[in-house]
Amino acid sequence: MAGHPLIDAHLAQLHRDLPTEAVEELADGLNETYEQYLTAGVCPTEAATAAIAEFGAPDRIVAAFTEHASGRRIARALLATGPLVAACWAWSLVIAQAWAWPIPPAAGLSLGAALLSAVGVLAIAATSRSYRRTGLGLVGAVGVVALDTATIVLVLIAAPILVWPMAIAIPASLLRAGLTARVLPRLLNR
Amino acid sequence: MKAEAQALKGHLDVLLLATLQDGPRHGYAVKEALRAGSGGRFDLPTGTIYPALHRLERADLITGSWSVVDGRRRRSYRLTTKGERRLAADRGSWNEFAAAVTAVLDRTSAPWPATP
Repeated sequence: MAGHPLIDAHLAQLHRDLPTEAVEELADGLNETYEQYLTAGVCPTEAATAAIAEFGAPDRIVAAFTEHASGRRIARALLATGPLVAACWAWSLVIAQAWAWPIPPAAGLSLGAALLSAVGVLAIAATSRSYRRTGLGLVGAVGVVALDTATIVLVLIAAPILVWPMAIAIPASLLRAGLTARVLPRLLNR
Repeated sequence: MKAEAQALKGHLDVLLLATLQDGPRHGYAVKEALRAGSGGRFDLPTGTIYPALHRLERADLITGSWSVVDGRRRRSYRLTTKGERRLAADRGSWNEFAAAVTAVLDRTSAPWPATP
């Protein structure tokens, strides 16, 4: 059954914000809704208008996709748990007087800059109204795994002594990196 | 009366899983099953069903596959074993919760002692 220009315009609007596969799936549902109205004897323009109303406005649909996006959800989870892990590390580094460690200043600055970048990227993914920007959550998640790994390696290499709060900070980082790395491949494939 | 989407939010996952318990369905059919099964109370905008289905798929609770119907590509979903287990568990929890609420609201035994 042929489509309708109103339906096509609605789908074109969705296509601006959503991936092609998602729009294909939405197109099937929207066209089926339209056809149900046609079958019930409604004229094509009224059928298209009713189908679009039943389907939902593009803004609302994009907002729903954005809310359920894997990048957004992982970004929110990492931002919610981040302060706990950061507090464990801050406690460890203060007790161990990390400022006196034999680490090149550039390494410390690079780690700090990478941490700020990861937090910034995750914050964009967690709050943006754009579906496409939620993809940054996956980039931020990769960054968090790399940061956790780099921090642990740096501490084990550079710390003259290990202090007991590290017995909390290191497992916390390992757990976060492990869980994130476990779900990332599945999310990147979808 | 149509239920507000917000009120459904906490129960949407189990409701969507329940619509797939009798076999595979595509997005529109899931929406229709939800609407018909609730006597018209749960009539969500069709377009908002799809992202929830995608999230359930990422959680391995359902699995989707493409086919071509009437010249259109169509994605249908079915429950996975994990989804069946989750549905059974959530249904049990809901039944217990609903029974407890009903027991309080429809109390027919002796009245509770009032505080002075």
